[in-house]
Amino acid sequence: MSVVISVGMADYKTARAPEILLTAGLGSCIGICIRDPFLKVGGMSHIMLPTASKSLGGNPAKYADTALELLLKEILGMGAIRSRLKAKIAGGAQMFSFPGKPPVLKIGERNAEAVKEELRKHGIPLLVEDVGGSFGRTIYFDVGTGELRIRTINHGEKVI
Amino acid sequence: MEITQFQLDALREIGNIGSGHAATALSTLLQRRIDMSVPKVWAIPFEKIAEIIGQLDTPQATIYVKVEGEAPGKAVFFFPVESAQIVVQALFGTDKPMDIYSDEMAQSALKEVGNILVSSFLIALTQFSGIALQPSVPALAVDMIGASLDAIFLEEGMLDDLVLFIDTQLTGIPKIEGQFIFLPDEGSLEKLLGAMGL
Repeated sequence: MSVVISVGMADYKTARAPEILLTAGLGSCIGICIRDPFLKVGGMSHIMLPTASKSLGGNPAKYADTALELLLKEILGMGAIRSRLKAKIAGGAQMFSFPGKPPVLKIGERNAEAVKEELRKHGIPLLVEDVGGSFGRTIYFDVGTGELRIRTINHGEKVI
Repeated sequence: MEITQFQLDALREIGNIGSGHAATALSTLLQRRIDMSVPKVWAIPFEKIAEIIGQLDTPQATIYVKVEGEAPGKAVFFFPVESAQIVVQALFGTDKPMDIYSDEMAQSALKEVGNILVSSFLIALTQFSGIALQPSVPALAVDMIGASLDAIFLEEGMLDDLVLFIDTQLTGIPKIEGQFIFLPDEGSLEKLLGAMGL
């Protein structure tokens, strides 16, 4: 059994193989998984909102832009090389809908867009994504193999 | 904003009244005796809810209403799928399990029950503060509790950092438990507490 490191809401953690990173119950939040496949180190960030600039400060690990910077800094600090880093993301669902009322602001979609934009800015390729839908996700990221296991309650389980 | 122990005690009392209303409403609806236990009350930053809820990926039935009025916010009631299952079967007077993940009848019954429970707490808040709070049409998700709550928390509008969390144990035969959460919009909690002279 590998050690499982739990990543909370608005939180980020790094790991070395054979450790597994876990974040439970992602709704419109996004889990960003980044890994250096050569060194087999990586990290996971559980972001809640697109950008820190529009809000009144608070925890930087909550926002896509500031959280990614923090996560990258820590992964690079473990000896990872920026040009080797690859990303996978999951989450960004729309959990509720009110009859007859289109959601004013699809926060899940906006989160996904913001995360992809930030990854582009940092030049980190996004290998695969599992975003959207209307269901929650629990994700397990194996920094050794790069496998991202996604569990749902009623929409099966998959590895991307 | 900071919240004092005194204010928390007062909120706990309101929680008591709210769950009293909820127990009465459920008793009538299910035609069986439902009692309530004294709730615990927390006012915590949203990111800390995992410490109270425990497992964020436990499946729960979550009913969500937007609250309009002078102290707007979002109100949520959630209970374990087992409890939801019991409530739905009792409502339809059937021993056959209904699929609360997809059965439309079951889901619409759950929405109604949730709506009644949420309203019970809102009425208690109104009684104490004199501030009218109107709930919107309810929405339902039967899914991981963390996923449902983060979506509610993040959906439109600036929220206060603090979330008011009222733990209730509604016990009868069979046991039903659930939790009520009030997510005040920025300034609403202060307004409510102010109106109550706290």
